[in-house]
Amino acid sequence: MWGRVVEIMTAVWLAVSPFIFDAASDGVVLWADLGVATLIWVLSGLSYWPPTRRAHLLILVVATGLILWGRFSVLPPTPVHQNHIVVGLFLLMIAVIPNRASQPPRGWMQQPGEVQ
Amino acid sequence: MSNATLPVDELHRNVPPYDHNPSAWSQRIPICILAFVAAAISTHLSLFQWGLIESAWDPVFGDGTDKVLKSDTAQRMYGILGIHDAALGVLAYLGDAILGLAGSTRRWQYRPWMVVLFGIDVIPLGIVSVVLVLIQAFIVGSWCFLCLVTAVISLILAYWAWDEVRVSLTYLWIVWKQNRDRRILWDAFWGYRSPRLDHAAETLLSRSAN
Repeated sequence: MWGRVVEIMTAVWLAVSPFIFDAASDGVVLWADLGVATLIWVLSGLSYWPPTRRAHLLILVVATGLILWGRFSVLPPTPVHQNHIVVGLFLLMIAVIPNRASQPPRGWMQQPGEVQ
Repeated sequence: MSNATLPVDELHRNVPPYDHNPSAWSQRIPICILAFVAAAISTHLSLFQWGLIESAWDPVFGDGTDKVLKSDTAQRMYGILGIHDAALGVLAYLGDAILGLAGSTRRWQYRPWMVVLFGIDVIPLGIVSVVLVLIQAFIVGSWCFLCLVTAVISLILAYWAWDEVRVSLTYLWIVWKQNRDRRILWDAFWGYRSPRLDHAAETLLSRSAN
């Protein structure tokens, strides 16, 4: 589950980034970053529960939105928006990592006769 | 980390024409370490492009690195991408490392999509690095030592990653040749299991090494 752990840590960075990039006075940026970070925490957390184990794939949508927002909301992108682009691209890579990434998929853990 | 009912030998079989398993940790960890080194170097270069440090380290070309990183070409790329090209390099190298770390020691068969994605990240990155070096030489007219180092690393990464990508693509090719069925090929790409995919993998594994 290291992919999910990295997502959660990246969301922490996103949540504090308005303060690091001196953009906390901008209410839209502050609440949007906190909201997106919360959404990532929820989706990563849901991935730990077997019935919603693929919830982390929805982070791909969140990451794409983050990249587009960072790239096109202000031209040229300010530091806080460049951070959105970088975080979005990073999340795109992490979100595709399966939960049990270092082990074979479930289907390959069974004997051939057990395969449906 | 348990592998349940899967025999350990099945995860560590050599794949012809190679006399090693291209998905083995011994093959992938060096790629990841080198990718992290390149990411660290690119981080240094991007800190300079962001103006957070006054100059970039260059023991060979003096202020050549500064000229390359602040060149009109670099500024144009910044205008297009919205972030500096060195920052994009950091992400690309981190991607190499992340995709190198994910997957079992038989991911060439169990998760071909991941190996293909890894190949898409690593191999074009090597080509882009060569293009950037040519831009340095013929357009900017200056040289950047650390950019050259990362370009060499990119080429090494592409060379090291090739065997695994080749094996995965060969496996998919065998699946297609044996079945001529897009649905089965699709299942093979995403790592689903069926007796016909087991047979395709065994065909590849039983080939004689050159």
